[in-house]
Amino acid sequence: METRTEPIISVRNLVKTYNNGEIHALDDCSIDIAKGEVVAIIGPSGSGKSTMLRSLNLLEEPTSGSIFFNGVNLSDKSVDINLHRQKMGMVFQHFNLFPHMTVKKNITLAPVHLKLKTQAEADAMAEKLLKRIGLPDKADEYPAMLSGGQKQRIAIIRALAMEPDVMLFDEPTSALDPEMVGEVLDVMKELAHEGMTMVVVTHEMGFAREVGDRVVFMDSGKIVEQGTPSEIFDNPQNPRLKDFLAKVL
Amino acid sequence: MWWSNLFKDMSPASFFNFSFLPKYGQLFVQGVEYTLLLAVVSVALAVIPALVLALMRLSKNKFIKGIAGAYIAVFRSTPLLVQLSIIYFGLFGVIQIPRITILGFVDLSRFIPGVVALALNSSAYVAEIFRGGILAVDIGQTEAARSLGLNKFACMRFVVLPQAIKNVLPAIANEIITMVKESSICSMLGMAELMFGAKAAASATYITLAPYTLAALIYFCINYPASKGIEAIERRMRRGDKN
Ligand SMILES: Nc1ncnc2c1ncn2[C@@H]1O[C@H](COP(=O)(O)OP(=O)(O)OP(=O)(O)O)[C@@H](O)[C@H]1O
Ligand SMILES: [Mg+2]
Repeated sequence: METRTEPIISVRNLVKTYNNGEIHALDDCSIDIAKGEVVAIIGPSGSGKSTMLRSLNLLEEPTSGSIFFNGVNLSDKSVDINLHRQKMGMVFQHFNLFPHMTVKKNITLAPVHLKLKTQAEADAMAEKLLKRIGLPDKADEYPAMLSGGQKQRIAIIRALAMEPDVMLFDEPTSALDPEMVGEVLDVMKELAHEGMTMVVVTHEMGFAREVGDRVVFMDSGKIVEQGTPSEIFDNPQNPRLKDFLAKVL
Repeated sequence: MWWSNLFKDMSPASFFNFSFLPKYGQLFVQGVEYTLLLAVVSVALAVIPALVLALMRLSKNKFIKGIAGAYIAVFRSTPLLVQLSIIYFGLFGVIQIPRITILGFVDLSRFIPGVVALALNSSAYVAEIFRGGILAVDIGQTEAARSLGLNKFACMRFVVLPQAIKNVLPAIANEIITMVKESSICSMLGMAELMFGAKAAASATYITLAPYTLAALIYFCINYPASKGIEAIERRMRRGDKN
């Protein structure tokens, strides 16, 4: 892909501390994410993966450093973050569907409220997206009636309904029963193949290896090593990465 | 019957001498209506200010937060009768309400100050109910809404508040029950609610106890079934929430 050269997201010297600097969740992280790239972030628990991902759309406010999205510095106070979040879809470990709304309403709420689409257009889009993930008959159900795998697939298309430039995933399969992991990963794989830019925090090493264009290993708030899946999994350099892989593989 | 003597020998001071009823029963009927009106209207009026107070308390701005906190602290830490008196004689000493009677027995010049005082008091309590309800909504809901690009207000309005309000409805219904009881204090300022009716019947007939027994019975018969009903609804809501 010729567009890969220009980064869609650019993180520069990102620092995030908690408790007045006591906890360094992110310690001087820099990374570029190219258009159409699928980046898998791996690392032990507490290494800062979620903090990194959630900083990208400013769900976590950086302590210092900058995040550029489509060339705009999001950490600049004068930037309307809501506008940019519309273009950054996010999928959470616990789905976070709105329980008081039907599936269709979950999907159409934001595009309609933000005047990106009329209700009719959004409804049509929701139906199309639901068909695509094989759940066309769930439009009028409430989330409580769905399985975990169904909820997560719907959470994914809820984000897609905003027609985002990039999708952020924070351990999208960790809260699922094992038999439902596959159906969610399949939707993500399809997205990747369609050229969606994706940043995926995951414990699914198989997915990282198979779908990732690049794998980023984090430890203690730092990006310790990154490379192609085969570089990371078959030829790890850093002892902490070797150690980590020995435990998870 | 063993109790027939009891009734024959009933003294004027006994609990169940309801001989005032034919003549003064109407006072109680009107009193109940007045009481319910006071309770329902004051809590209804409290809802919007309470919501505003709750949102102010949840604000990041220390000044806004402080104002709401002070309001809530003042109204929760002083007696209702004192608040009522200050508002009645102070605020409505300045603002004159014309003596218009509605429904045949509700004198607006007394009712409005009473309702305002109860509503101001109630908003402090309902604000805390709302705040708890808002905080009880999973933070992930806010994160999901904000990640879609909804701003703070849209997130509150479409995602957080509908869930919070559903959760606090039973507590707000309970606040109405509290107000049914607390509004008895309005009798001190001549509002013709249930307690006032009982007082009037007592002083007109020199039957000093039974009118109050009757008032107690009426309060109980309103509040007990109502609170049981709310509990049942709450239980059903909780069952429906499991997903
Ligand atoms: N709100 C917070 N307050 C204080 N410390 C926090 C907060 N959020 C995260 N941390 C700390 O920051 C560090 C990084 O957390 P983060 O959630 O990013 O890790 P992670 O790599 O996503 O871990 P996991 O795999 O368990 O999800 C951890 O030490 C964590 O305890
Ligand atoms: Mg995490």
